[in-house]
Amino acid sequence: MFRRRATAISAIAVFSVILAGCSAPGSDKKSSGDDSGPIKIALVDAQSGQLSSLGAWELKGARLAIDEWNAAGGINGRQIELGVFDDQGDPTTGTNLARKIDSEGYVAMIGTAESAVTIAMAPILKQAEIPNITSGQSPGLVAAGSEFLFLNGPTSTTYDETLAKHIVDQQGIKSIAMISNNGSYGKGEHDAFLKALQSRSVTPVADQVVTTDQKDFSAVLTGIRQKNPKVIFLGAEEVESGLIVKQARDLGITATFAGAAPQGTPVFLDTAGAKNAEGTIVSSPYLGNETSDASKKFAAAYKAKYNEEAELHGAKAYDGTQIMLTALKTSNVASGKALADAIRATKYQGLLGDFAFDTTGVGISATAIGTIQNGKLVAAAG
Amino acid sequence: MQIFLQTIIGGVSLGAVYALVALGFSLVYRTMGLVNFAHGNVVTVGAYLASTFYLSSKLPFALAMLVAIAVTGLIGLIIERVLRPLENRDFDLMLIGTIGFGIVLDALVIMIWGATGRAVPSPVPAAPIDLFGVRIRTYDLVVLAIAAAATILLVLFLSRTKRGAAMQAVAMDHEAATAVGIHVGRSNAIAFMIGAGLAALAGGLVGPLLYVSPALGGTLGIKGFAAAILGGFGSIPGAIVGGLAIGILDSFTAGHFQGYSELVTFLVFTVIIMVRPTGIFGERTVNRA
Repeated sequence: MFRRRATAISAIAVFSVILAGCSAPGSDKKSSGDDSGPIKIALVDAQSGQLSSLGAWELKGARLAIDEWNAAGGINGRQIELGVFDDQGDPTTGTNLARKIDSEGYVAMIGTAESAVTIAMAPILKQAEIPNITSGQSPGLVAAGSEFLFLNGPTSTTYDETLAKHIVDQQGIKSIAMISNNGSYGKGEHDAFLKALQSRSVTPVADQVVTTDQKDFSAVLTGIRQKNPKVIFLGAEEVESGLIVKQARDLGITATFAGAAPQGTPVFLDTAGAKNAEGTIVSSPYLGNETSDASKKFAAAYKAKYNEEAELHGAKAYDGTQIMLTALKTSNVASGKALADAIRATKYQGLLGDFAFDTTGVGISATAIGTIQNGKLVAAAG
Repeated sequence: MQIFLQTIIGGVSLGAVYALVALGFSLVYRTMGLVNFAHGNVVTVGAYLASTFYLSSKLPFALAMLVAIAVTGLIGLIIERVLRPLENRDFDLMLIGTIGFGIVLDALVIMIWGATGRAVPSPVPAAPIDLFGVRIRTYDLVVLAIAAAATILLVLFLSRTKRGAAMQAVAMDHEAATAVGIHVGRSNAIAFMIGAGLAALAGGLVGPLLYVSPALGGTLGIKGFAAAILGGFGSIPGAIVGGLAIGILDSFTAGHFQGYSELVTFLVFTVIIMVRPTGIFGERTVNRA
């Protein structure tokens, strides 16, 4: 009896969802004219597949920001609704989703964490006039030249310039090997770091490229071991970098590793093993949850909500979402070009630093250097 | 020379895992003539189960593996039971059925364990052995030993036991086997169960080497499938040789062709298959499609 009633209720629920779904395409993106319903923001990220850990962090950061605003009464009395879409880390899926969020009347988009996907989506979002704050960091995002595309962090150029400055200029290390993957992130890192080295007339002792889903690095690492570099630069995502470090230590390589954002994350540390990753030099705009009052507050709220430690990607998405919501508030819930202009005008003191957007959509152009000590990322002395 | 040897060693340990995955593919294929497209996802499930019992339930690694193999074997039985009505009726539907099961398992893994994945610390913490400048991880030796033991057990089961002989008979001619009173459905069920158990073994062993995430089985599945084809689909020694060959080939192309290694691996694979379409051990007696 009870079960039958439950079935009936769920049938009604499904039916009403279908009804709601049917009415959506009719009310196109001009729906921002009606100011009674919730404000619809889309989050597009990999929720499945190889890059899903990035997507999961992003979602947590963005949802935290939105829940805070909703708890405080929303914007102009309207609640904010977050629609979550799975791009599987795939540019083709991304372009389909760009059309989908346009037809379903979303006013703005958060994501993606993959530069390649965001670059693929940019032309469609530009045409649809949907402002997008991405977590990607490839210089290619700036080259896409869309006035509707914003970055919630620095580009690879900034990360790697800071890193090269620390290693070469301050520590005087010139014996550097590079390992990067041939994905969009790795390629961007490779080019940016190589350029930063060349501008200091340093030639890497080895410059090895691996594929994005490679699992065994014996050949590459043995080659590097014979060159005996002091520092090995990693231009790869969390898990792959972790595997490289673990296998390098097994092969008896004692060199220090260095890298950008991924090398400061818990996933990298877990995969490599804290002992193996000890001393890794990280260039990141977010060195940890203890750096400021704002980050402590964020980390505490994050921990309370998800029962896990906050990290860079969640913080980036949180900042990006806060900026988006602030712009929605200051522009009185505008959409399209007016909203993009409002984002560009937003000055925001975030977890990553003080955001001030330039014409290219980059809001932050500084990172700090940290090292991994006793399994934790801490700011480097000096 | 040092690089050469180190590269081979790096390839062999992953190659042993590919070989276990290939064994699962081949066993189901030789018994039923069916390619189990859910096999890669079963590897992921096995890896998650093994790591859960090892990390969360704090069981010793060997025990965690055994429990994971048993549970995953059960999943294999369920897959076979659901697909059984289609056996000998509609082969294409069965293939699509296994793809469907793969998608279901993939979604279940994300629902249960989340999308982020986990690192599994090595159960053998001993330092690598240094042999004339070539480093051998102790855990790699464990992987090789277990893979070899599993293969020997499987061969003994197929050749020395009545049930195993019955499975061989079904593989050769299922109608004749039915005529002499062999239960074909049961034989298929056992093939699926052992196949899933091997997948769990591969997944559990590879956990401490790599990183357990929902995407783990995808790569292993493709490489394992390629290994099975390379060795001769359906052949037990073929799966072993194919797995090791793919592992070592992968390792060498990674050293020489860097970013294009995957491309070169599969080009070499394609050329070998063109020259020898039945694979190295090309028995391919099974043709039930």
